[in-house]
Amino acid sequence: MLLNFSIGRYYGLDSIIEVLMILVSFVISYYSNRVYKLVKEKNYRLFSFAFLAIGISFIFKILSNLTILHRVNVQVANFVFVVFHEFEFMETVNFISLILYKSFHLIGFLILFLLVTKTEKKEKIFLFFYLGLITILFSVYFDFVFHLTLIFILASLTFHFFENYTQKRNLNTFLVFIAFSLILTGHFFFIIESINPLFYLAAEIITLIGFLSLLINQIKLKNEKTNKIGSNQRYVRNTKRK
Amino acid sequence: MKKRTRLEVIRDMLGILRENKQVKITHLIYKANLSNNSIKIYLKDLLENKMIEEVVEKDRRFFKILSKGNEFLEEFNKIKVFSDSFGL
Repeated sequence: MLLNFSIGRYYGLDSIIEVLMILVSFVISYYSNRVYKLVKEKNYRLFSFAFLAIGISFIFKILSNLTILHRVNVQVANFVFVVFHEFEFMETVNFISLILYKSFHLIGFLILFLLVTKTEKKEKIFLFFYLGLITILFSVYFDFVFHLTLIFILASLTFHFFENYTQKRNLNTFLVFIAFSLILTGHFFFIIESINPLFYLAAEIITLIGFLSLLINQIKLKNEKTNKIGSNQRYVRNTKRK
Repeated sequence: MKKRTRLEVIRDMLGILRENKQVKITHLIYKANLSNNSIKIYLKDLLENKMIEEVVEKDRRFFKILSKGNEFLEEFNKIKVFSDSFGL
């Protein structure tokens, strides 16, 4: 059995970028879970799950980078047969890690989409996840289908965060809007990476800047002043006067 | 006047409870500017989340803030900014 490992593309730069994105995703997921434990609001738990799924997806992306030398394109309709009967061990690892990356990534952004669009009907949620599954299956043969689906989800998310920014007009909402715009742009570059491999690097860097923008938002949040005793009481008194 | 969010109402209720040792439900309704029906929903949530506790003295019901409620008040600004930045 041939066990060739790679550090990833561009001397492992993509893997390093993904490690940073894992850290950012887990920081956001951890904080949202902390808020959930305090206020017990379902939204925060789902938000935490979404970023946890995105973080996990990057772990599988790194695994697929490490085994990239064993990447094989599936061109036969019955991919299950091909994977289990014709693939070598490392090829299977690469294939499965790529599928898991796509699945977790799509689940994460889909949860975010359902959250911000306030979709609560079970039939709709079921339909979205079914379409997500179809996307993953199609992406086995056509990789761009995965990125194209994400572009639609991310475009909707970006629009929501733009609206949120126009309503609140502060740096935090702006950072989140910019972050999702950049992640969206990153996926455009992933689609055209077959034209020139440099687009892959551009996509990774743009997506990283997007995630760093989310990290800056979290750091700003950490430095936010805590409530001193009495400040809220003044608020209550003021609202009473009005 | 702008309608308060759920988080802001909870912040106001807990703030009142922190400023006063024990508070009767009628005082809470008045000070937090809430209706009788809505305060029951909020109190149920706060009791379930162990942010407050109910104390019965001489057949009168009072509410007291717990450490988790205090923790929420301390963290409120951060939670609000986090929630606002993503529009949650």
